[in-house]
Amino acid sequence: MRSLLEVSGVSVTFDGFRAINNLSFQIGEPELRAVIGPNGAGKTTFMDIVTGKTRPDEGKVLWGETSVSLLGMSEAQIARAGIGRKFQRPTVFEDQTVADNLMVALKKDRGPFQVLFFRPSPADHARVEDLAAEIGLSAHLQTQAGILSHGQKQWLEIGMLLAQEPRLLLVDEPAAGMSQPERDHTTELLKEAAKTRAVVVVEHDMDFVRKLDCKVTVLHEGSVLAEGSLDHVTSNQQVIDVYLGR
Amino acid sequence: MIRPILATLVAVFLCATAAAAQTAPAAEPAAESGLQSILQEHHDLVERASRQTVQTVLDALIDSEDEAVPAFLERWQARELYMRNADGLFVYVQNDRADPLVLLDIETGAELGTAGSRDLTALRPNRGVQTVIGAALVQFQLLADDPATRATALQAIERAPEPGQLHMIGRMLDEETDPALRDQAEWLLTRMTIAFAEDEAQRVAAIESLAGDVRVQARAALNPLLLTDRRVAEALPRDANIARVLEPGSAALPRADAYAMLVAAGLAPQEVTAQMRRDALIANITNGTVAGIQVHQLGTEAARARAYAALAAAGAVPPAPTEAEQTAALAAHVFYDEYREPSTAVTAAAAETVAAINTHVGLLEAIDLSLDGISLASIYFLAAIGLAITFGVMGVINMAHGEFIMMGAYTGYVVQLFIPDYTVSILVALPLAFAVTFGAGVAMERLVIRWLYSRPLETLLATFGISIALQQIVRQVFGAQARPFTAPDWLSGSLVFNDVVAISYIRIAIFGLGVLFFVLLWLILNKTRLGLEVRAVTQNPSMASSMGINPDRINMLTFGLGSGIAGIAGVAIGLFAQVTPELGTHYIVQSFMTVVVGGVGNIFGTLAGATLIGFLQKGIEWLNPSNTLAAQTYMILFVILFIQFRPRGIVALKGRAAGA
Amino acid sequence: MIALFRQNRSVPVMLAVLVIFAAFVTLLSEGAGTGALSTSLVKTLGMTTCLAIVALAMDMVWGYAGILSLGHMAFFALGGYMIGMWLMVARTEGVIAASLAQAPLPPTPQELTDAVAVQIFGVVGGNSFPWMWAFSHSLIAQLLLVVLVPGLLALVFGWLAFRSRVTGVYLSILTQAMTLALSLYLFQNDTGLRGNNGLSGLQNIPGAESVPQSLMSVWFLWASVAALALAYVFAAWVMAGKFGNVTRGIRDDEARVRFLGYPVEGYKLFVFTGTAIMAGIAGALYYPQAGIINPDEMAPIASIYLAVWVAIGGRGRLYGAVIGAVVVSLLSTWFTGGRAPDINLGFYTIQWVDWWTVLLGLGFVLVTLFAPKGLGGLIDLLARRTPQ
Repeated sequence: MRSLLEVSGVSVTFDGFRAINNLSFQIGEPELRAVIGPNGAGKTTFMDIVTGKTRPDEGKVLWGETSVSLLGMSEAQIARAGIGRKFQRPTVFEDQTVADNLMVALKKDRGPFQVLFFRPSPADHARVEDLAAEIGLSAHLQTQAGILSHGQKQWLEIGMLLAQEPRLLLVDEPAAGMSQPERDHTTELLKEAAKTRAVVVVEHDMDFVRKLDCKVTVLHEGSVLAEGSLDHVTSNQQVIDVYLGR
Repeated sequence: MIRPILATLVAVFLCATAAAAQTAPAAEPAAESGLQSILQEHHDLVERASRQTVQTVLDALIDSEDEAVPAFLERWQARELYMRNADGLFVYVQNDRADPLVLLDIETGAELGTAGSRDLTALRPNRGVQTVIGAALVQFQLLADDPATRATALQAIERAPEPGQLHMIGRMLDEETDPALRDQAEWLLTRMTIAFAEDEAQRVAAIESLAGDVRVQARAALNPLLLTDRRVAEALPRDANIARVLEPGSAALPRADAYAMLVAAGLAPQEVTAQMRRDALIANITNGTVAGIQVHQLGTEAARARAYAALAAAGAVPPAPTEAEQTAALAAHVFYDEYREPSTAVTAAAAETVAAINTHVGLLEAIDLSLDGISLASIYFLAAIGLAITFGVMGVINMAHGEFIMMGAYTGYVVQLFIPDYTVSILVALPLAFAVTFGAGVAMERLVIRWLYSRPLETLLATFGISIALQQIVRQVFGAQARPFTAPDWLSGSLVFNDVVAISYIRIAIFGLGVLFFVLLWLILNKTRLGLEVRAVTQNPSMASSMGINPDRINMLTFGLGSGIAGIAGVAIGLFAQVTPELGTHYIVQSFMTVVVGGVGNIFGTLAGATLIGFLQKGIEWLNPSNTLAAQTYMILFVILFIQFRPRGIVALKGRAAGA
Repeated sequence: MIALFRQNRSVPVMLAVLVIFAAFVTLLSEGAGTGALSTSLVKTLGMTTCLAIVALAMDMVWGYAGILSLGHMAFFALGGYMIGMWLMVARTEGVIAASLAQAPLPPTPQELTDAVAVQIFGVVGGNSFPWMWAFSHSLIAQLLLVVLVPGLLALVFGWLAFRSRVTGVYLSILTQAMTLALSLYLFQNDTGLRGNNGLSGLQNIPGAESVPQSLMSVWFLWASVAALALAYVFAAWVMAGKFGNVTRGIRDDEARVRFLGYPVEGYKLFVFTGTAIMAGIAGALYYPQAGIINPDEMAPIASIYLAVWVAIGGRGRLYGAVIGAVVVSLLSTWFTGGRAPDINLGFYTIQWVDWWTVLLGLGFVLVTLFAPKGLGGLIDLLARRTPQ
């Protein structure tokens, strides 16, 4: 399996604090991967680097079959290259309806002029309805996103990511603050998505990770501590030390 | 009867020798001593002294080196000299109101008996003669025992130096012991040597001794040597001291100016300007035509040129020199600047020395500019630091910050209404201004800002609303015109290092205030519990509140603190700026710039921003001193470009604290 | 168009109101002979209509895209300057040509140009045309500049500011700095636009000297109303579609839009520049009615007032901007024009000429605190209630 994303030897320092230290990471397509680690392990910074929000001090981030470097690209360019990102807090356009949110996210030309003259076709409407059905919001298409529940917003955001049709989906703590049934739905969504693309889930919750049933990468102090199945990594003495403290 | 005739004869003889003495005084042997006898020798010249002739008498007197001469000259100048009609003896009188008058000998002061006022003629030298006597007196005064007299004499020479005084100063310097007077005399000697000395080498040496002298007088002494006259000739004269040769059409000598010089010197015919041609054509209109061309066709330059040429051919107007003729005339002559000073050695030395001085002055000006920059930076620091704190901690921009500065200045004004002593009033005004604006800031935070924390842009507009309301209210209460807020005497004046470098005491005080507040704030933010909490709220408000810090209280206190410092800054600014309701608006934009350039949430950032903005503004003003508006324009453009390279300012928070 | 009317009901309402308003004013104007409304009042109404256009632009850039620009009144004034240059040159040329017609010789083109230059720039000690007046004799060129100058300035400034990710309060301060720099620049006598004298006599339209001002004011009113109608339809059309959704998305969550793959800077630049052009056009219509323009008009405070109008009218709703601009600027004219009756409290007389500013400032604080949706929010409430 060729890797879709290859991060190698990446380091980044904030005011003397080494948030990421010689990190290397690969993921193929399709694949579901969970990234776990204690607070401050560098999980969010790792995502920031991949999505172009933070520039690393050294290292390489290569993408796709032609191994394009992502380091010189803007966030928007990286997103258009096929990397979608879900934030920890749900970020949807609360002022707009669910349908509008999804329509904005649909994979289309992103330039201002094309968008200015864009008028949705029946196929686009159908696609939006399909997505809404997938994330369980069919009944709320004309609802303002702002009045959705927390879980519904998370799903809507995942739906927007899916509408973007990315090849790699980075998901930051999707289950935080969800009830058990909501978590199960989220698990299903992610597993379904991972059938056709690469999905990286950053999560604290071991239970949720277990349900994802996938390869796990443990981050600690900015680098990979262990990688493998959940059972494999949780039996690793170093991982136990890190999580339980010494 | 014989005596006066004899005296006249002698006088005529001596006149001739004295005239010779004037040209070569050193060669003449000392005249016969005895004041009275010398005067008698020049009897008529003393009795009917005139500006032209009196110098002869004076020279004879001075050459005699008689000790009574200075006192005599003073009395003569003061119109206290009398002549006894009977024998022409010159005397003083004891009291000019007494009758009979008691006569005194002019050498010894001994009484010579009495005389009625009719027996005496009062000698009243006119103003011109008085002046000449005064000039002669100067050399005695230069050697007087009283230093004050010597100082006065030096000043008299300095006002109107003359070539003959050069040696007097030399003589004075031989004996002068007072260091201040010595300095003064030496300076005068140098200056007069440059101007009057006959020996070229002496002058050059004197000129070169001024290298590195940055006083304005030094340049004033040298610049006359470099004055030039612009001349035109067929060829460069050989013996002239030529400063530079000019090329017509260059920036130094535009072509039109060069041609005008030719015309003025009668070396070329007058050119015909468009205006002159027009007037000539109008003067030659006959029956609606000019030289056979219809007037209504003369609406173009080409047509007018044709008409003029026709007139010239008919001899009605002088022909206009063509472009080629003008060029030829210009090419046939040289244009040059000639020094008024004939000696090339002197002008070369002067030019070199002036260049050296200017380099030196340039360096000092840079230092002076830096001092100005520092003082402006401290003003901006004081004005902006409050803004930076509130912006850093709460993320809101307080548009009314400028009005808090203005309120501080008005507090100073009001305090002076009640406390007339300027020193005390400022000491009272500083804490009071802090209290007033602290209160205003806290009130504003409680009433308005805290409801708007999630909407920073609206805070900006709401505080703007407060700003215009405050400004108008102050205008209603105090009026629109400037109010006096006066600095105490010990703050007026300047600390002067030399003619180039000086800094006013107010600015030094403001610098001190800036340093004081920098240190104070650093201590508050880094060494106190409040500071710790403020920094915690700045970096992560939600985390801070979860750790038991009450962000409400912190916000309120921070806002109060920031506003209070604005009040203090207002007092400082009010001391040198006009206290008007618009005072704040003049500083608010610079304060914003300072904060934006420096970076928020860090007093070092504000310091860096204020320094950059202050120096930059002074630097731009120095490049273009006539136009402060342009300076501000360019500075703002710079800030806009600066933001391109450091969007978060000079001292930027990094990492997560910087936020998304 | 129909779809737009259906989607945004304020569009047909606004168009109808505008037509009725213009017709009404025309009938009552001196130009129509009835004279119930004075010419100066008609001019004020026409000018207010232009202010509504720039408020609309401000609403798009602030209310929809979230960029609190404190520079749009500068763009407005720049538009005014561009048209003012032509008005002034063309009119002065006419006057000079008439006076030189009596001269013994017909003037040459150079003499004419020089005389016009002295007439215009003598007040700042100039006697020739500065470079920026190169096209001032051509109406077409200056009309192009009305669009190009504010547009290019906004484009360059916006490109610089947006690409370095300056946002929020920072951006506002930066736009304010730009405005200040521009007004300070124009305040200088030697920068070519007559310093603080500004351009004057703009109410005299060259080639239409025979048309009385009473009639001219009505023509301009109609032009302004037509421009506002066009601007309103344009703004509604832009904001109704996906572009509007993306723009509002940028306002609410810039990062999300960016991670969806949209070039956020491009959108901001598009809106900033587009609205700057709208402002420039509005200015070009406003100043021939005002008759005079000077650098004071583009002082930062003017742009802040513009934001105040939009905030009071209600951001994010196009009609809010129009209402805010009309209500606040007309009230301001009324209060500061000395027509509002003073209030005698016995010990103190409140003179509205002075206290209006205080009222406005405090009123603005109150609106921000208690009615963040502005007057437009009230209309929303009413509109929602009536159909039921």
